[in-house]
Amino acid sequence: MTPIADSRQLILDRIRAATQPASAAAPEENSSAGYIRHGSLTQEACLHLLIERLREYDAEVVESTPEDLPAAIATQLAASLKRIFVAPEGLPAAWLVPGFEWKIDCGLTIDEIEHSEGVVTAAFCAVADSGTIVLHHSPAEGRRLLTLLPDWHLCILRSSQVVETFPEYFSRVQVPPALVTWISGPSATADIEMTRIKGVHGPRFLHVILVHD
Amino acid sequence: MSPTLQDHAELDPTLAEPFPQAALHVLRNPQLRKNVTHAIDVIQAKRAKLVAEKKDWEALRSAASAIRAQALEDLGPYLEQFEDRCTAAGGHVHWASDAAEARQIILDLLRQQNATEAIKIKTMTSAEIQLNPFLESHGVRAFETDLAEIILQLGEGEPSHIVVPALHVNRSQVREIFARRMGLKNLSDDPQALTAAARAYLRQKFLTIPTAISGANFLIAETGSVAIVESEGNGRMCLTLPRTLITLVGIEKALPRFQDLEVMLQVLARSATGERMNPYTSLWTGVTPGDGPQNFHVVLLDNGRSSILARPKHRQTLKCIRCAACINACPVYRQTGGHAYGSVYPGPIGAILTPQLQHMHHAQSLPYASSLCGACYEVCPVKINIPEVLLELRSEVVNQERHQVLRFFDPMYLGLRIANLLFARAWRFHLAQRLGRIGARLFTRKDGWIHSLPSIGGKWTQTRDLRGLPPQTFHEWWAARAGSPAAPVQTPPVHTKEAN
Repeated sequence: MTPIADSRQLILDRIRAATQPASAAAPEENSSAGYIRHGSLTQEACLHLLIERLREYDAEVVESTPEDLPAAIATQLAASLKRIFVAPEGLPAAWLVPGFEWKIDCGLTIDEIEHSEGVVTAAFCAVADSGTIVLHHSPAEGRRLLTLLPDWHLCILRSSQVVETFPEYFSRVQVPPALVTWISGPSATADIEMTRIKGVHGPRFLHVILVHD
Repeated sequence: MSPTLQDHAELDPTLAEPFPQAALHVLRNPQLRKNVTHAIDVIQAKRAKLVAEKKDWEALRSAASAIRAQALEDLGPYLEQFEDRCTAAGGHVHWASDAAEARQIILDLLRQQNATEAIKIKTMTSAEIQLNPFLESHGVRAFETDLAEIILQLGEGEPSHIVVPALHVNRSQVREIFARRMGLKNLSDDPQALTAAARAYLRQKFLTIPTAISGANFLIAETGSVAIVESEGNGRMCLTLPRTLITLVGIEKALPRFQDLEVMLQVLARSATGERMNPYTSLWTGVTPGDGPQNFHVVLLDNGRSSILARPKHRQTLKCIRCAACINACPVYRQTGGHAYGSVYPGPIGAILTPQLQHMHHAQSLPYASSLCGACYEVCPVKINIPEVLLELRSEVVNQERHQVLRFFDPMYLGLRIANLLFARAWRFHLAQRLGRIGARLFTRKDGWIHSLPSIGGKWTQTRDLRGLPPQTFHEWWAARAGSPAAPVQTPPVHTKEAN
């Protein structure tokens, strides 16, 4: 391991020599200046923007009230024509609507996740401006595999979780989490002649229920 | 046997042909040029639309530029901080001073796992160190998982773009490769069907191969986290399914804070693919029990980067976040495609990065592979002044060359030395003008143009005509005019500008 330890020192020494004096490079403009941190839309307009953006990504969005949520979930699951769903361990019990086969992730094997047909999760937050759903992988959002292997993902968002801009999301994060996944629409590629194709390896279908709380 | 995707590309800068020669192969391949132009037009149009809708775009560019500059200014402490936090979270950090060392570290890590196969997320850094052929020759098969990279790997092609590496390949060529290599005789050339074929081909590999190799878009010093930006989900597969993950990353990719992502993510997707946001961005910190690889290694690669850092005007090269906006905007790339650059980094950024990574010992033709139009600088989301660096590099190339003995008799340098002598004294200059006028008469046709010159002059007249020298120079006319003020007859009409 000696040569590797030496390389560490060697590289750090080179960098130190290269960056001194600190003023060697041209001074840069102030980074905090200028860009939009806080959105200017009303909450209603902001939610509307989110729905529009998600739909542009080919995600399906429906709205619901807290009381009607279980029924809305049941409708979505039934419409998917799928039967076997995985759910993160911390998903609220009321969301596990009857009539479907639920696999709760208390250490499911990769095989069990792979052979389920859909997944239902919560989210940490959503950013309207870019149509992005943010997962911090809390118990109700599940570990990363859950929202990756199944072909169909239903994400439940509360309207209070929606912010307008990316910087607003970052200002909501007190302590940076160890794991984050930013999801903007279903998996896609444009590698063949720049033709956008939905669904490569991640879920091909992304559904969102927006709950007005 | 079908031909491979390109006949001439060689992306090792130490072996590649000079740019002007390498470009000829592409210029003579109309299909390839058509593929490249089509792809570039689509990305450019999408990017332009989404940049225009972003009201604070210029402010975001300034912020992104400042964040990257600050990261480079204090790079040492940031890397040490990253190492600290990543290690505390259960990751292992390795340092590689050059490509050979990085390859060896990765091979040793794979051998510790008895790995004979590895799945890979697209990483230009691994292409830079030519990792795949090295692993192959040491008994480890690396499977690329990005759709474009599969096309190239199965078609034995080389990347021609850093974001859309197979943009020079069209759908029927992809169909041919997939049909042949995956044994799918009835595959159609519909991109949907081709994508589905790739999904099926890779699914089992994702689920069974326990070792993955990735690159990284950003390292977060504050948290010890790594971020990867992607579209397909192959990245997420590689980051979550295997037991072992090895991430190879250039030392310049550090960002000071988690919050810096609020700027970088906003500018990256728009610049790279013309999307408001790419479908998936993953961030992880060391090892998380119960979620993802439990054996995680980061290999920090220098490979010439610290020497770029040391030069104040060149340092901005390292601000690059590999979005390829400069490549898409470049009128030269549009004509030549990526392979002509003889490096995995093509286009304007490649023209400044490759020669520097080679310590100016190879790829000296690349700084000239530009018209200096500045389109690259205009679109760069981190404001790298590429034309400025190109000019710096050109002057270095000239300084290198003119001290070489062989160059002493090089017609261009000889010509420049003679010009230097002639221009030094007015009388020599006037004499040369008179002699030149006599000489030029031999080649000037009746229409007043020179259509062909002998010897080295032919290089000019090969592609353009030269106007014959006029019978009188301006100086001569002026002197004659001053000497005979009574003869204003020959004075041409003087156009005066209207006063403002």
